[in-house]
Amino acid sequence: MQARGRCWKFGDNIPTDRIVRTDMIFKPWPEILKHVLETCNPEFPAKVQPGDIVVAGKHFGQSSGRAIAAKAMKQTKIGCIIAESFARTFYRNGFEIGMAVLECPGITAQVSDGDILRVDIEGGKIVNERTGRELQAKPTPAFLLDMLKAGGLIAMADRLAGEG
Amino acid sequence: MNMIEKILARASGRKAVAAGEVVVANVDCLLLHDLSGYLTGRVFEKEVRRPMRYPERVVMIFDHHFCPPSEEGARVLEENRAFARRHGIHLFDCGNGNTHHVGVQNGFIRPGTVVVGSDSHTPIHGTLGCFATGLGNDSHAGTVMPFGKAWFKIPETIQVRVSGRHKPGVTPRDAALWLTATIGEGGAIYKALEFAGPYIEGLNFWDRWLFPMIVVDLGAKCGYIEPDEKTLTFVHGVTDKPFETVRGDPDRKFEAVWEWDVSALEPQVACPPTVGNVKPVGAVAGAPIQWAELGGHGGGRLEDFRLAAQILKGRRVHRDTRFNLVPSSRAVFTQAAREGLVEMLHGAGATWFPPSTGSNQAYNMGAMTANEAMISTHARNFPGRNGSPEAKMYLASALSVAAAAVAGSIADPRQYL
Ligand code: SF4
Repeated sequence: MQARGRCWKFGDNIPTDRIVRTDMIFKPWPEILKHVLETCNPEFPAKVQPGDIVVAGKHFGQSSGRAIAAKAMKQTKIGCIIAESFARTFYRNGFEIGMAVLECPGITAQVSDGDILRVDIEGGKIVNERTGRELQAKPTPAFLLDMLKAGGLIAMADRLAGEG
Repeated sequence: MNMIEKILARASGRKAVAAGEVVVANVDCLLLHDLSGYLTGRVFEKEVRRPMRYPERVVMIFDHHFCPPSEEGARVLEENRAFARRHGIHLFDCGNGNTHHVGVQNGFIRPGTVVVGSDSHTPIHGTLGCFATGLGNDSHAGTVMPFGKAWFKIPETIQVRVSGRHKPGVTPRDAALWLTATIGEGGAIYKALEFAGPYIEGLNFWDRWLFPMIVVDLGAKCGYIEPDEKTLTFVHGVTDKPFETVRGDPDRKFEAVWEWDVSALEPQVACPPTVGNVKPVGAVAGAPIQWAELGGHGGGRLEDFRLAAQILKGRRVHRDTRFNLVPSSRAVFTQAAREGLVEMLHGAGATWFPPSTGSNQAYNMGAMTANEAMISTHARNFPGRNGSPEAKMYLASALSVAAAAVAGSIADPRQYL
């Protein structure tokens, strides 16, 4: 699993409320996607491209545990999210809905908004094509990589419950 | 092993578990509220399409709505009711209280059990000696509803030992706000926090409740207090269903032990824009307040109304401020009425609202303009949760909220005691 794309860089402690505003949660996807992360970067919803890579600081996705914030990020078709650290519900939701999230302490100092990043999701190797620097993300537990390959939790639920 | 390791080992059919392992455990209770329940229900029926295995373990509570103000809201509730009926799960309709209080007051939460919910404050049930944590909709719809199970990674545990006695005019909520800032947002990511020490032990049940409430914003997976006589007395008072109490081994190990003393603490206020931006009340005294509210997961307890009554005795709510009172459950409202608090606070100019989660996310109440500010006992103050993203939300104790309601601006409650 590889990803390559433009880096969109965000700060620390971004709450889910700023990924998807709470008054949007019952709206249809096209409507929600027009506003994803807009209060953090007004250009993001219109300009994000499939394969782009979201980089964030500490504790990304804090606040509500509703999977809708992770689902909205997946709907933008980004390649993956790399953060210094995640709120645990967001991290969990990422794999459960089949979206790669990587933890890489120190990443925000090594990349700038607009850099092109190349990411090996299983191995956790991140290359910044502008600087040529290589970074290593924390290893992802094998159990979560399996879930990602299966396409998410629901696809492997029988197996997980010991009934498959 | 500590308490949650023992609970998770038992629930996953193992003799022992250790931090870092992934287990699949039986879930005893799933709490859903009207918003998350709707999203989960859709995933369950559209993507999972299996029978509900243990409907008696699933509880849905309408708490963000106490009376839908729009057709869209009415439709969400209508679909939730139909979902509850189709699958035979428990339903507590509008006006019953906020999700966590309703779960506790109706005996669904018992020591030694595994409790999950999509509300991120689900770890609050660690107050009863449970393993309790928030999961996303896909966990609930994908494994809890069809199989009665969920996966968990065993967290490392940190013991938070609190000692000392707070000064008059300072309350456990002040201590909890201060701890939020001291540990810091994201200061305990993925960890379990065991709250202990003489201060915690000395608190009554509903004051203890305020500590596991903060863990989610510290980034932790769960928080808990080892059950003792007080816990058991409380639980036996709300349910006669059986349960098996679990306590950690006396020689259990922690990744770290953090010790704090609350003796020198002043009343605290969490200022916009985050729960960790906590200052002593003096630093923000005088900031104008249009709305004051006792409600949310951190408030609307009987304790809060009693504290407010101390401040409002012989005084009135300021003419530029609205003071909203939102009981956390019907039981609390009944008791408040018995104690004369309903009449007394009403007479002082405050307004009672139906038991619910209050103005949280402005479903029925609590929307503000960019120029307005609220002080409340809510759990969170992130921008955009109450109308305009520029509206200001301060979090404080019931004493400080009531003092602000009287002064029309943030005020040190000790001047009113
Ligand atoms: S504070 Fe309200 S919206 Fe937030 S997680 Fe709890 S119930 Fe849900």
